[in-house]
Amino acid sequence: MQTNPIGRSEKALVLQVLLNGIFLGAIYANIAVGFSLAWGVMDVINVAHGTMIVMGSFVTFFLFKYIGIDPFLSIPFSMAVLFLIGYFAQRYLLNLVVKVGIFLSLILTFGLDLVFINAVLLIFTGDYRSVTPSYSGSNFQVGGINVPYIRLATLGICILLTGLLQLFLTRTRTGNAIRATAQNRQAAEIVGVNVARIYSVTLGVSAALAGACGSLISMVQSFTPFEGGFFIMKAFIICVLGGLGNVYGAMIGGVLLGLVETTGARILGTGFQEAISAIIMILVLIFMPKGIVGSKYK
Amino acid sequence: MALLEGKDLSKFFGALAAVDQVDFQIEAGEVLGLIGPNGAGKTTLVNLVTGVYPLTRGELYFEGRRIDGLKPAVIARMGIARTFQIVKPFPGMTVRENVVVGALFGKGGAQRNIKTAFEEADRWIEFVHLQDYRNDSVDRINISFRKRMDLAKALAMGPTLLMLDEVMAGLNTKDIEEMMALVRRINRELKITLLVIEHVMKAVMGLCQRIIVLHHGRKIADATPQEIVQDERVIEAYLGERYAKARQRSA
Amino acid sequence: MKNKKQLLIAVLIGLGFVVLPLLIEGYWIRVISSIFMYGVVTGALNIIAGFAGYAAFGNVVFFGIGAYSTAMLMLRVGFPWWGGCVIGAILAAFFAVVVGFPVLRLRGHYFAIATLGINRAVEQIALDWGSFTGGGKGITLPLPQMEIQSFYAMIYFILFGLLLLTLLTNFVIARGRLGYALRAIRDDEDAAEASGIFAPSCKVIAWAISAFITGLAGGVFAYWFSFIEPATVFDIMIAVKAFVMMMLGGAGTVMGPVLGAFLLELISETVWGQFLTIHMLILGTIVIGVVIFIPRGMLHLFRQRFSLSALIRNIKNQSI
Repeated sequence: MQTNPIGRSEKALVLQVLLNGIFLGAIYANIAVGFSLAWGVMDVINVAHGTMIVMGSFVTFFLFKYIGIDPFLSIPFSMAVLFLIGYFAQRYLLNLVVKVGIFLSLILTFGLDLVFINAVLLIFTGDYRSVTPSYSGSNFQVGGINVPYIRLATLGICILLTGLLQLFLTRTRTGNAIRATAQNRQAAEIVGVNVARIYSVTLGVSAALAGACGSLISMVQSFTPFEGGFFIMKAFIICVLGGLGNVYGAMIGGVLLGLVETTGARILGTGFQEAISAIIMILVLIFMPKGIVGSKYK
Repeated sequence: MALLEGKDLSKFFGALAAVDQVDFQIEAGEVLGLIGPNGAGKTTLVNLVTGVYPLTRGELYFEGRRIDGLKPAVIARMGIARTFQIVKPFPGMTVRENVVVGALFGKGGAQRNIKTAFEEADRWIEFVHLQDYRNDSVDRINISFRKRMDLAKALAMGPTLLMLDEVMAGLNTKDIEEMMALVRRINRELKITLLVIEHVMKAVMGLCQRIIVLHHGRKIADATPQEIVQDERVIEAYLGERYAKARQRSA
Repeated sequence: MKNKKQLLIAVLIGLGFVVLPLLIEGYWIRVISSIFMYGVVTGALNIIAGFAGYAAFGNVVFFGIGAYSTAMLMLRVGFPWWGGCVIGAILAAFFAVVVGFPVLRLRGHYFAIATLGINRAVEQIALDWGSFTGGGKGITLPLPQMEIQSFYAMIYFILFGLLLLTLLTNFVIARGRLGYALRAIRDDEDAAEASGIFAPSCKVIAWAISAFITGLAGGVFAYWFSFIEPATVFDIMIAVKAFVMMMLGGAGTVMGPVLGAFLLELISETVWGQFLTIHMLILGTIVIGVVIFIPRGMLHLFRQRFSLSALIRNIKNQSI
């Protein structure tokens, strides 16, 4: 165990690690929820989701640095921008290949990812960026545990977003149409659902969630246009752990991964962490194909 | 010794008994019919025989050897072939290539090289009268042809036992007559034992020497066609309790 | 090969490539060597993804295994490059067999993701196990003891030979039992098993062959560049490009994947030279274009005689 500079009790240390795990897990959960929406509803594995998160970070960065908008207040903006990107990508590109097979859409999103990365690179260059509002780094102490304000607010917003998503999916017309289409596309078409539009909205919502996520992450770590791959890997692992297309599963999977990673980093040091996550994912795939939480959507 | 024998066969999916304590035999050279209302467990029974589903309980014997628990590919190579209720062709291939798969991997396939396998495939394509469509891609031919191709593929496997799962479904009258003629030839000329699942009564009555009836997974009758048609339980299963009782009262 | 004329053309093209190094300058020799290498990787991918229909997005892991094995055998044990390559390829194939039996039971995108995870895991292990693999600093191989231009020419021919081997392997598989088995598995695995095909063994064999060839390519790559690191030899972009190349040329055909590799890599190289800053943009756009307009590949397009109206009709039919 590392030395204890503040002289906190061991119990406080454990709680700190757990809290950090939950904070991290909330972000991971949000990444996964958006990613799994597209996958569960349309069988679209949006490899560009990671870069969409990064784009959200850059929107916040831009608004903060050049217009002076507080990062938390920029979230609606990043969500709106990403919603439009996702909507049009689905409407005019993905909808053309979705029916044919999963791999076509997967490779198409790879192509989109390349385009997005390059676009961001051209606009913002490849330098490391970060968003540091005046309150970064401030925190308060509770019984020897450090609680950074930003992290706490992030946790709150993640919970809020997930709750809003659930409400959207269960209480609105469009949301119900999305769930219906996810269960049976043809049946939904027959009762009058405009599947093309619904799919576009779905990817739009998925992208919007990514955007919000990116805005939150921008305050926590520095980023370049290339961070996407890292996020996507997390999203895969969580979706596999939590079961596909399952909002609760994604949440639980995200928090689980967050906890595992922070405790693992504490105990093992940061080496081999990624390898272990990847191996866990493969093992889960092989032995528990439905994920830890259980079966498919809705 | 029966060619195929099933003892106390049961298959549960969760709490649902798809097949429930079924005993049956098929003698070599027979044409055995398997009928029953939808959901009775007919296709499940075939899936149990071919090893697609593991048995929950019971034993299966083919030519005296125990086959339950064996993999589908092993059972296929032992000489059991089947057609599928919803035809399962290989969409990326032509008719000829589809049939050649049967010739390459069925019983006796290991001895064949590609060339002789194609010759074997051609033989069966002619048998089902599909030679004009040999090189067509399967997604271009209609359902009746696809069923015949499925049949040719099964025959190319060189089976001793052939199980036909609703091979008449979706065919018009003329096609049914032709298919029945083919089935008769398969049994009489090629000496292949047949299990025929059917809803088309004309086919069942015309082809089968004996019929087994399943209802809710249980065997409720096992007799000749003439006896089956009179059997009270069968009538009740197909047409409902009220009809059966009404018939009884008026008899 | 349908007829004598096609065979003749193929031989002529082959001879053309043999003679080419005498006519062009060093830069282009390296470009075409690179094209050959992509042809090998794509052709190998075709065996598991094109024929068997199992989208091994992480196939590049075998490239990395081959590269690292070759590097370490050359450096630590003093093996000659070709010895290292072959052993690396065997190790890659062995890995495919060990991992293949459990992982090939997964279908569809689960398999694809699992292979990505495998690649990621092995890459991370290579990064973290610094004492064994050199970690992030990579491995520097012993330099070849010959004049540099001759060396590059030699690499050219090695890769050309490897490409021929890949094409031959694809050809033999396509015409033989394994090819029919794999295609049946791709089209309908349950019906394939009902026909007597042992799907698990066939898939594992296919993946092992694919891994072997990919491993060879990785080994040659290591020898060629004399320096490898995890990020390069486990780079997922190699796999993505290979996939797009395979689709572009026509997955499941013999010549298709290699043609696709030629086309895409040629474009990639020329674009890289001129438009460095928008390289990814153009590649991405090409990828999107291929997926929407030429999903079945160029060979398929040839058979349909480039009918634009048929193309548009196809797209309309399959759109949501």
